[in-house]
Amino acid sequence: MEIVDTYYSKDEYVETASGNKVSRQTVLCGSQNIVLNGKVIVQSGAIIRGDLANVRTGRYCVISKNSVIRPPYKQFSKGIAFFPMHIGDHVFIGEGAVVSAAIIGSFVYIGKNAIIGRRCTLKDCCVIEDGAVLPPETTVSSYMRYTAKGSIEGGQGNPYFVPAAMQDEMVNYTKSFYEHFLRTPAPAS
Amino acid sequence: MSFMQPSPVKYACSCGILNPINKLFFCRHCPKLRCGFCVCHEIESHFCSNCLENIPSSEARHKKNCCANCFDCPCCQHTLSARATTVPVVRKADESKDGGESGSDAAPSPKPSAMPTTKKMYYLSCLSCRWTTRDVGIPDQGVATGTWPDNECLYQVRFNTLMEYYQSVVLQEKQEKQEFMRRKAPKQHKFPSLTDRTGLTVSLIRRQIGWNDKSIPKTKPINITPAEASAEVEPLSEDIFTQPINLRNVTTVAQRHSQPADQPTAVNNLYPQRRSLWIKRSLRCRHCEHNLIKPEYHPTSIKYRIQLFASYHVPEVVMVRCEQPLQPGQTNAIFLKFTNPTMYDMTISILDAPPADAQVNMDAFMQGCRIKEEAITSSPLLKATGVTLTRQNSTREVTREVRDLANATIVPLDNEFVLSQRDDSKEFDEDVQAPIEEPKFIVWRKGNKVLMRLQFTPAAELQTGDEVTLGFYMQYTYVNTVSNTPDKKEPTTHALYSRLFIQAGEIAQGTAN
Repeated sequence: MEIVDTYYSKDEYVETASGNKVSRQTVLCGSQNIVLNGKVIVQSGAIIRGDLANVRTGRYCVISKNSVIRPPYKQFSKGIAFFPMHIGDHVFIGEGAVVSAAIIGSFVYIGKNAIIGRRCTLKDCCVIEDGAVLPPETTVSSYMRYTAKGSIEGGQGNPYFVPAAMQDEMVNYTKSFYEHFLRTPAPAS
Repeated sequence: MSFMQPSPVKYACSCGILNPINKLFFCRHCPKLRCGFCVCHEIESHFCSNCLENIPSSEARHKKNCCANCFDCPCCQHTLSARATTVPVVRKADESKDGGESGSDAAPSPKPSAMPTTKKMYYLSCLSCRWTTRDVGIPDQGVATGTWPDNECLYQVRFNTLMEYYQSVVLQEKQEKQEFMRRKAPKQHKFPSLTDRTGLTVSLIRRQIGWNDKSIPKTKPINITPAEASAEVEPLSEDIFTQPINLRNVTTVAQRHSQPADQPTAVNNLYPQRRSLWIKRSLRCRHCEHNLIKPEYHPTSIKYRIQLFASYHVPEVVMVRCEQPLQPGQTNAIFLKFTNPTMYDMTISILDAPPADAQVNMDAFMQGCRIKEEAITSSPLLKATGVTLTRQNSTREVTREVRDLANATIVPLDNEFVLSQRDDSKEFDEDVQAPIEEPKFIVWRKGNKVLMRLQFTPAAELQTGDEVTLGFYMQYTYVNTVSNTPDKKEPTTHALYSRLFIQAGEIAQGTAN
């Protein structure tokens, strides 16, 4: 089904030269440590904790409403250290998700209200279901689906779980999401 | 719309099952749609989904399809991770090692000369349920991976002898069968003779030379002691009636199943389990045995060596919206977006009945396939031995009737339309194409995409809340770049058709009748 157009008001979002659309109602701590590589949408209520460590996203990412991007930490004998967080291209992060992964590959779909524990690794083309909770240091490999029950299913070539053409699907989805995320047209006067 | 939601547009696979286009494959050699149900699933490679290590199939079999390094929590089946602790080790000849102590701080040494050095020790811990190997008394290890003990089950020896026994039984049966086949099958020899059939001459000559007989000594299955059933069962211990049961110490069914060898009843018998391997699959068309998808071996690679997704060959239909709220018996229109994924222009027509000439074309094509197949299998030698080079199809292809779900009548388009080829550079072009004469039903056209308006009428007897389903046949021209016959190299054009069902939505509230 085609994505319906979503309109935002001119005052709510800032559009940068590289095509990023960032809401003003977000908490971007340490914005000098946050790199959005172009055509990224950061919706209202999102929190990106750039003050803890660097956060870098690829192109065509969607960071939905009320989600939290928080770099992972590791505890050492002499205190804790934060690690930078890398997010690949064409990644969708659903509403209310709390993401503390170390690496998120490209073409990853993270559902609504999912919790990604610290230092998780999400490889390319994986799916995290709505409401799934990933314990810390979990690896979700390519073409796997992490369910809300906590099990992993799928695998490359298995047509029943993650679509075999996940890469194309995510490219289409994030691109059309970007294209249908429009500024409210100015009233004709 | 959510990415995870099921698509309202379903294509009928050649086996008769309805699927969205992202679950379908397109066999270029047949040329037909295939789904996960009507293809052959094969294991391409084994890998561990935690450490992402590729494991060859022989090694995987040897290791019983388990990873050598990764463990699952016996409590919650999540992956265990290694945790390091520093343990003080006093380097002195007369003092024994102070191992197994988990205190992170070095104990104050009795003499300043005996410098306490620390050593790293590892234990496994589950970050999901906080289970550790220390809970069941497994000693910490000096290295993080590789040295964890395998918990041997009680019946290991018995299982091994049983395994050996049945392996030898299988071997013996195989030998007997071969012997039988050899005697039965007449040899297709140039000069058939009686001696040849019995194999007498060969053994005679061998004996004359002084070699021993060629025939392999027959394997006899080794003797095993059969299991004996006894009627005497150990009586229950007394305390089972007197002691209150603590459910915290009793394992769940899932925990017992994850440890099938001993199936412990108490939580202090849970041991880390080796993580089972995952596979990458390749899918093969059952009809022509060509690969439909074949992933790359490497576990982290997301690429395919062969990828015949339906979305690369079949025009994609996306439902945009209905013109009006759905009412039973009232003419409505639906907007559909067609996308041409191929490098050739497509001519599309929407029909409400299967095209008459399509079946004839398909039969001619299948004939070509069949001739090729017969050439392989018809060799007399292979026929005699009962061996065919072609893989045996595990199940016969069953084509079922596509159940007609449609409860609305469509108005078929009076003429066909052309979907232009895909051109990725078009996306960046600024110039707008010159408007051309379009049929009435086309709303707009952009590159390889067309938005089309299709009129339909939901059935009059539908009630409020009923799902309206449209069904139609989409005929499209497909340019096939592969050919089965070697003399013809130029691409051939086929007129193919797919049957589509679209869930347009529910009948709206406030109907007139």
